[in-house]
Amino acid sequence: MLAFIKRYEGLWLFSRSPAVILAAIMAFGIILGAILAPWIAPINPYDLASFSLMDGLLPPVWDEFGSEKFLLGTDDQGRDMISSILYGARLSLIIGISAMTIATVLGVGLGLAAGYFGGRFDAIVMRIADIQLALPAILTALLIDGIARGILPPEMQQNLRVTVLIIAIALSLWVNFARTARASTFVQMNKEYVQAALIQGQHPLRVMFVHILPNILGPLLVIMTVDLASAILLEATLSFLGIGLPADSPSLGTLIRIGMQFLLSGEWWILWIPTLFLVALVVSINVLGDFLRDVFNPRLR
Amino acid sequence: MVYFIVKRLVQSAFVMLAVAFLAFSLFRFVGDPITQMTGVETSVADQERLREDLGLNDPYALQFARFTGDMLKGDFGFSYRTRQPVAEMIATRIPATLELGIVALLISLLVGIPAGVYTALRPRGIATQAILMVTLVGVSIPTFVIGIMLIFFFGVQLGWLPTFGRGGTVRLGGWETSFLTVDGWRALILPAFTLGVYQLTLTMRLVRAEMMEVMRSDYIRFATARGVPMNRLYFKHALANTMVPVITIIGLQFGGVIAFSIVTESVFQWPGMGLLFLESIRFVDIPVMGVYLVVIAFFFVLVNLIVDMLYVVIDPRLRIRDVS
Amino acid sequence: MSRTLRKSILLGGVISMTALGVQAESFHWASTTDPQTMDPHAVNSAPVLSFLNNVYEGLVRRGQDMAIEPSLATSWEPMVGDNGWRFNLRQDVTFQDGAAFTAEDVMFSYQRASNEAADVRSWFSPVSEVRVVDDFTIDFVTSAPNPLFPSSIANFMILDKDWATANDATLPARDAENFATMNVNGTGPFTLSSRDPGVKTVLAPHAAWWDTAQHNVTEATFTPIGNSATGLAALLSGEIDFIQPIPLQDVAQVESRDGFKVLEGEETRVIMFGFGHEHDTLLYSSDVTDANPFADPRVRLAAAHAIDLASIDRVLFRGKIEGASQLVPANISGYSDANADRPAYDPEMAKSLLAEAGYADGFSFGLKCPNDRYINDEALCRAAASMFAAVGLDADLSTGPVRDYWPQLREDDFDMYLLGWSPGSFDMEHPIRFLMHSQDDEKKLGSWNFGNYSNARVDELLPLIQQEIDADARQAMVDEVVSITQDEVAYIPLYTQPLIWAAKDNIDLTQRSDNFFMLRWVTVNEAN
Repeated sequence: MLAFIKRYEGLWLFSRSPAVILAAIMAFGIILGAILAPWIAPINPYDLASFSLMDGLLPPVWDEFGSEKFLLGTDDQGRDMISSILYGARLSLIIGISAMTIATVLGVGLGLAAGYFGGRFDAIVMRIADIQLALPAILTALLIDGIARGILPPEMQQNLRVTVLIIAIALSLWVNFARTARASTFVQMNKEYVQAALIQGQHPLRVMFVHILPNILGPLLVIMTVDLASAILLEATLSFLGIGLPADSPSLGTLIRIGMQFLLSGEWWILWIPTLFLVALVVSINVLGDFLRDVFNPRLR
Repeated sequence: MVYFIVKRLVQSAFVMLAVAFLAFSLFRFVGDPITQMTGVETSVADQERLREDLGLNDPYALQFARFTGDMLKGDFGFSYRTRQPVAEMIATRIPATLELGIVALLISLLVGIPAGVYTALRPRGIATQAILMVTLVGVSIPTFVIGIMLIFFFGVQLGWLPTFGRGGTVRLGGWETSFLTVDGWRALILPAFTLGVYQLTLTMRLVRAEMMEVMRSDYIRFATARGVPMNRLYFKHALANTMVPVITIIGLQFGGVIAFSIVTESVFQWPGMGLLFLESIRFVDIPVMGVYLVVIAFFFVLVNLIVDMLYVVIDPRLRIRDVS
Repeated sequence: MSRTLRKSILLGGVISMTALGVQAESFHWASTTDPQTMDPHAVNSAPVLSFLNNVYEGLVRRGQDMAIEPSLATSWEPMVGDNGWRFNLRQDVTFQDGAAFTAEDVMFSYQRASNEAADVRSWFSPVSEVRVVDDFTIDFVTSAPNPLFPSSIANFMILDKDWATANDATLPARDAENFATMNVNGTGPFTLSSRDPGVKTVLAPHAAWWDTAQHNVTEATFTPIGNSATGLAALLSGEIDFIQPIPLQDVAQVESRDGFKVLEGEETRVIMFGFGHEHDTLLYSSDVTDANPFADPRVRLAAAHAIDLASIDRVLFRGKIEGASQLVPANISGYSDANADRPAYDPEMAKSLLAEAGYADGFSFGLKCPNDRYINDEALCRAAASMFAAVGLDADLSTGPVRDYWPQLREDDFDMYLLGWSPGSFDMEHPIRFLMHSQDDEKKLGSWNFGNYSNARVDELLPLIQQEIDADARQAMVDEVVSITQDEVAYIPLYTQPLIWAAKDNIDLTQRSDNFFMLRWVTVNEAN
């Protein structure tokens, strides 16, 4: 840990930028809320008996028709908005982080190797990437959903939608990593330090991960942060197109999709409160990502 | 170079075949076309007959062989939903999607690259912080929400721009274009912006990252020390060196633009391929979905081929690797 | 529909007749789905039939109040000495290409529409023979007495024999398209000027139409707009004059704006829950695995008592739905006035019924719902699941698009499911035939009775109802069927689906309860 701090002295920059501090607080707050949702949320949105349609469409507490029982109001089912959002952030983060992690590992690994080995291996990886790119995310999601339903027994399928979404989103994101890693690796391969390592006869894995990887992290980190955000948004978009999560398992994206119906009907809180939350989450992730990139790449200071 | 192109063309054929295969395998999971083709009063026996007639009861391998075989012969089949020839349906929708995509991509590059350069050169400036913040918020709101908000603000409240469709188009041969009429351009603005805003942010951030990296590199430092004028330095030396990743990103963005055009077209009722594809999913119109995917695969293969060739042109060092 | 609105329609009719030919009125309208074909016999679906009713006509047609009235037939009567109906045809009717209309065209259209390639052929299953008597008389012979036959063929559209033959469109397109897929030649008030499928379809008046035009439209443009928010924006920005439907929650927004109006009515579609009557065990239960509690009518009744329709109406439907006691709404012929009560919301009763049936602690089961078929279908099912949970019925809800939903119902993959039914013939016999009679593929009965509800007396009554000429005797039998199915809780009818259209203030039009939009009743007035 000490060595880490010593290496990345830039971490001390942290205290110098109010935006970064603010972003860190926001991200930390939302993540903490998401983790603690089962303990701090007033109701459990998955427990159908814990809310009632009779409380439906109540505005937030500061509105004259609001109720103190529901600080941010309720949706069209009578679900408490705070609880939905806490659980929603939890689900969105699980989906986003899992999908991004899978995509990063898969994409960077393949991209590095393709750039390093070149030739036939490179061609095969890049053609697989082409195939992947040619299948829009909506189709990948349909495909995986379909395969899962074909293979698994019905009682397992209900809980499967989240996994299906994670895999579908990861598959539609890995190509970004692979192609960027590959292009950057090509450039690095001609640099003296790599050539030197190769002449020394170092193991390819060592060259790839110890020498090349740290030097291509800049663009990759940008993609990672942008893609964590887009993974969360992609889930919302898939819901909008009708193949995301069912409405009774709320992610932030699903909440926004449901809220869209109330864009003009006066119940603004059903759309805008989850949207505000999503924006806050995504923006703070991105700000932190930028900051981390600066830290990992001390030359940029 | 010729060898390179021929090799890539052969590979591309395999890519298209693989896409066709994957596409075809997933159709079985989309739903049942028969229930979508017939009315509620149609008897079960009549439904079964239709299923038999369409060959949906045949073994899977036979159906796939028939699909690819017909396609290789140039026979793209007929839509289950409208009974029209699929080739014609897709062909009439291609111009709408391509024009929308090109304008979105242009917005993304023409705004994204200068913004990326600017924010890299003035990393602590107020304007930089503002640009970064606004674009971040922009990409944090789902595309469909942005689209609907734009429609209601510019279309309904202000009444400046149309809310749906392509407006006035002119037919040039088989190509229906929006570029030649004022109405056509007016109708293009909102959807192209909606589609471009995400790509714009990605471009800007990537150019910024690359640019900052390059600016710190030794040869720029030497150039600065030698007294090369700053403007010349930024735009000739520094920017040129960010081109490899930027070209990569254009290739990638083409994918993003096509994928997200499905959402944008659905929000703006834009009569392109994406909208057709969504309708085809709803009606389980297998022939249209299949051909759509193969056509999309073709575009990808083409763009990737061009991108790879540009690499070779821009950075001659890469040429050696590819030939070896 | 409000009284003032009805008046304004009549008034509009008068104005238009005087103004006709004076001003050119183009009219733009939108709906969610594009008619997939222009062939009147190829697809039996509401978007197609609704659209083509502006272009083609049947022997009979429905008026503004849905009553059957003469169209290409001026009169009809039961045949003498045979089962069936004789239609006397209108003379001096011309098709849009100028050809004269005769009995041969009806004969040809019958052969075309009853062919295996036609999706509408089920309308003609009672018909055993059709005979042309002379140029303007035709007999439809049925295998049994069939009092409902004339009203069951209101959407059977007549096309020109010579035109179809000359253009190689003698049968509806099956694989490839044919001439009739993209072109029309009917006798109706409008004809096609251009068609770009999925994008834009333009209609123009048929100058030689036999009836007096009550509209003043000189050009009508139809655009499908799938996204409801975009459609609403198109109306509010003035780009279109009329849209069907708009989302319930946006009614207040449209009404609050100057220059727009909302037309509200009730569709003929009743939304209901159905059960897997026939299953031995539940498919999706985690606690009851050796029995099917829904086989017990007490459990089905408990489910009915668990539903708080008043809250559903207030929150989800903004007070715009009417509860349903049976599978048709009150404005449909055959509606059983004697059985107009529906089970009240009574969770205590539900719990005690469950206890009586041996499920005092409730049980879990799978509830399937579509999410793109009916208004608020998904929200309704989520609310119902929450209400079921309150009495111990733990519903495991799974929702999906219809393209995937119907196959699941066909494969018997549910414990309980949601269904909406609109009687195509506008008579109670229709849901009895499709939803209450036991499944019988041979006789083509009970084909949408997915849970296979089965009652010998209901099966026995259906053919009698179909053949009974005497109205009172027929109603008595219908009442008996409704009473049996209510006692046994064959289904839980919930409510009649509301019908919400929106238009600019200067447009007068008629909202028919089958959700068909008829251009011939549209008047475009001077905009204020």
